[in-house]
Order: sequence, then C-alpha cells, then structure tokens
Amino acid sequence: MALDITIDQAGGDTAVVALTGELDASNFTTLIEAGRTLHADGTRRIVLDLAGLSFLASSGLVALHSLIRILRGEAPPDPEEGWGAIHSLEFDVSGGGVQNEVALVAPQAAVERVLERTGLKRLFRVHEDRSAALADA
Amino acid sequence: MPTPEPPGLAIGDRLSALVAPFAAFGPDLVVAVEDGDGTLLAGAPSDRPVVAGAPIGPATAPLGRVVVRGTDAAGLQAATEVLAAALEALVEAAGVDARAVEERTRIEAELALGRRLQRSFVPLVAPDVSGWALASHYEAAREVGGDFFDAFAPRDRRRELAIVMADVTGKGIAAALLMAFARPLIHAAIDHARRPAVALERTNRILVEERRAALFITALCCYLDTRSGSLVVANAGHEPPLIIRHGTTALEEVPVGGPLLGAFPSIALDEARVTLDPGDTLVLYTDGVTDARAANGTRFGDDRFRDVLHDAASAGASARELVDAVVRSVRDFTADEPAADDVTIVVARRLPPRPRVRRFGGRSASPR
Repeated sequence: MALDITIDQAGGDTAVVALTGELDASNFTTLIEAGRTLHADGTRRIVLDLAGLSFLASSGLVALHSLIRILRGEAPPDPEEGWGAIHSLEFDVSGGGVQNEVALVAPQAAVERVLERTGLKRLFRVHEDRSAALADA
Repeated sequence: MPTPEPPGLAIGDRLSALVAPFAAFGPDLVVAVEDGDGTLLAGAPSDRPVVAGAPIGPATAPLGRVVVRGTDAAGLQAATEVLAAALEALVEAAGVDARAVEERTRIEAELALGRRLQRSFVPLVAPDVSGWALASHYEAAREVGGDFFDAFAPRDRRRELAIVMADVTGKGIAAALLMAFARPLIHAAIDHARRPAVALERTNRILVEERRAALFITALCCYLDTRSGSLVVANAGHEPPLIIRHGTTALEEVPVGGPLLGAFPSIALDEARVTLDPGDTLVLYTDGVTDARAANGTRFGDDRFRDVLHDAASAGASARELVDAVVRSVRDFTADEPAADDVTIVVARRLPPRPRVRRFGGRSASPR
C-alpha cells in the first residue's frame, strides 16, 4: 500500500506534514527524501500528522529518526547506500532527551504500539492535534 | 482449401522483412541476402564492398548468404551509431532511461551480494539439543532485510542454550552489513554475560560507541536451561515470544519489552522468567511474518499468524510442522507479491520424556 506524504504547511521554519497509508520498508526512504527537501528549503521543525497512518513498520522508525537528524543539519547516511555506507554511518544517538525537531500528532493505536514496543516513543512529543503541536514550538 | 504459397516466394518475403530494418542505416552499412552468384535475394542493392558475410541454410543446398556491405571503418562506426541511437530510443520508449538501468543493475548486484552475505550468517541447521526439538525458517526479502537468528550453547555453559532473534531495521546492504557486525557481537556478549538483559545492554553500548547505529536493531535474547526448561528472556524492541503450552492451543505472550538497540546510549532491559514444561513450545519470529502483505495491501497480521499456530498446534504439529505451517500460510497469503521484508521464525519445543523401557520380570528372568 502506498504512502502519501502531504505537506500542508511549508515555507516557514515549521512544516506540517501529514502521512497517509503505511510507512514501511518499501517507502521509508521517500519520507527521508521529503525531509531533506524541506530542510533544504529552510524547514527546521516538522509537525508530523500521523492520523492517517495505519501502519508503521520498523523501517519506518529509521525514517522518523532520520528526520530528526536531517532537521538538526546532520546528514544521515542513505539507508540504500551500498558498501560505502558502512564508512559513513555516523554517530547517531540522541541524548535521550525529548527533541522537538519532529513532533508527532494523533498516532493511531497500531502506530503508537510500535513506538512503545521499540522504546522510540520517548524520543517524541506526541500531541492530540496539529494546533497543540504548533503551539508547543 | 487454401492454395499453399510458393515456398520460394514466402522465404524471400520473410528474408526481406527481416533485413528491412537495416535500411535505416543508410548506404554506409547495408545488410542483404544474396545467392551464390551475388544476386540480391533480399535487402537493398549496394555496390559497396562486402565486409562480412555468413551462409544460411544447409551447407549442401545453401539458401544464400547474409552479407554486410559497407565502405570503411568510419562508415561502420556511423552505422553503429545509428544502431545505438535506435536502441536508445527503443529503451526510452519502454519508459526506462539508461541511467536508471545502470543504477538498477548496480543495485541488483549489491542485493545479490547482500543476500549471499546474509544467508551465510544465518545457521542452516538448528543445533542438536538433547530433549528439545528446534526448527527454523529464514527467507530473505528481495531487497534484503536484516533478520538473523542464532542458537548456540554459551561458552562454559553447556547445558544452556542461547537463542537470539533479531531484526535490523531498514533494508539493503547497510542493513545486511549491520547484521553481519551485530551477530558475532551479540554472541560474544552472551558468552560473557550470565543474564540475557546484560548481553543486550552491552551489545547496545558497543553499537552506539562503535557508531554503527545509523539503523536500529530489535532483538530477543533467550537463555534456556535445557534440563530444567527454565527460560529467561530479554527483549529490545522486538515482538515478544509466544508460548504454546502442552495440551492447549492458547498462545501465551512472554510479557517483556524494552527499547531497541542502537538508539539510546544506555538502556536498562527487563527480563521475564518462564518455565517450559515437557511438550511446551516457544515461538520466536520477526515482523516479516506478520507484516507480510498480499497484493491487495492486506497484512498477514497478528490474528492470522496466531490462528495458524493455533490450528497447527491443535493438529498436534511438531516443531518443524509448526514452522512449515506458518511459512506455507504466509506464502499462500502473499501469493506472487514480492516479500518486502525477511521472514524468520524459530520454534523450540521441549520434548516429552522418552518412555522408560520397562523391565518385565518374566523377560529378565527368561530361561537360559
């Protein structure tokens, strides 16, 4: 199933991005690409609306994590890179504090379960709706 | 009744049709068919010298000779460029640009390499552990995921069996390489740690310190006392193990979880302790099983997975048969859809004690 990435607000410091469909191994690099483009256009914070996301595979977690790094100006290695990638895998660990480069909005139960199971939920501030996420900047 | 075509005419027509496209090369490269006397049978007439030729048809009664007439090397080069341009146009018309083809070829080569690499790290044969039946299945996704599993007796702890099931997030060569890096790391950590949580916590620290953690790893680490059936499980972000108790078909989830490896500088993992009694079955799997997708987008899902296990257990399936039932069911479900993720499942069953050989008084006192 496809993933739709809708950029509802861009141009300023904060972009609102809505994900619809399923984020998995077949499309997680698309989200990373979208993050790169937004960062190049000046975005430094993304409010990620997950209300329409019905499925999050573990590969999708890599994309979420990569978005944080991209917005911090660190270029994450391309997960599709070949042998060269092993040399460019850079230090990639958040200090454990809650970052605010990427804020999550309204994750569905199935998506929240994956975030909880993998412990990555602690990386994100999760908001009920977009306005709460935007107000939290 | 239709009149048969004169055979000579038909062949001539067909030869003409076959050489016709070469007319596009222009006069610098003419491809034609001639008979032994140089009479033109098919193709455009040309007075350029013959640069190459080959006979067609039986040696005793040749149909003719394919000849290539051209001027010189420059003329051939020009003609070849026309051919190249024509082929390029053909490829473009098919909706593929040459760079994409090149990129695809490179990626395919890497994928094949990744699959071989990964396959070489996954044990093909489960270890032979007295009193236990172990069965596993591993299937690489087309684009290589990073699943791996391992089952071995830790150093100096021969009656123990360590079972590891892990999944590197992401896919491709980077995932396969991280798997190749992590597998021996976890093995060594297990050899040096009395508790599975400690083994995974150390693995996490090394992954983070070695800066290999651009991707994450979810991992289950189980220490099984093969004599008592006592099982200790630590779970770093992986699907929890399932247990099917002997004589029941209900699935029990081992309640243990924690953050995945590679994301946080230090993690503290819980452990769950359960006992596997004779006939009990432990099932470990990766999300490639439950996330397997049919052409219509439906996922195989937890419910279907549990139903298959339930049904197979009800039918008295062995460890091997349980694994096979899941694999078959996932294949039937996904049909021709290419696998997006690796599919890995490991089943360990504690065998019922072997029936004792009873000594009957009458036999042991048999007449001599």
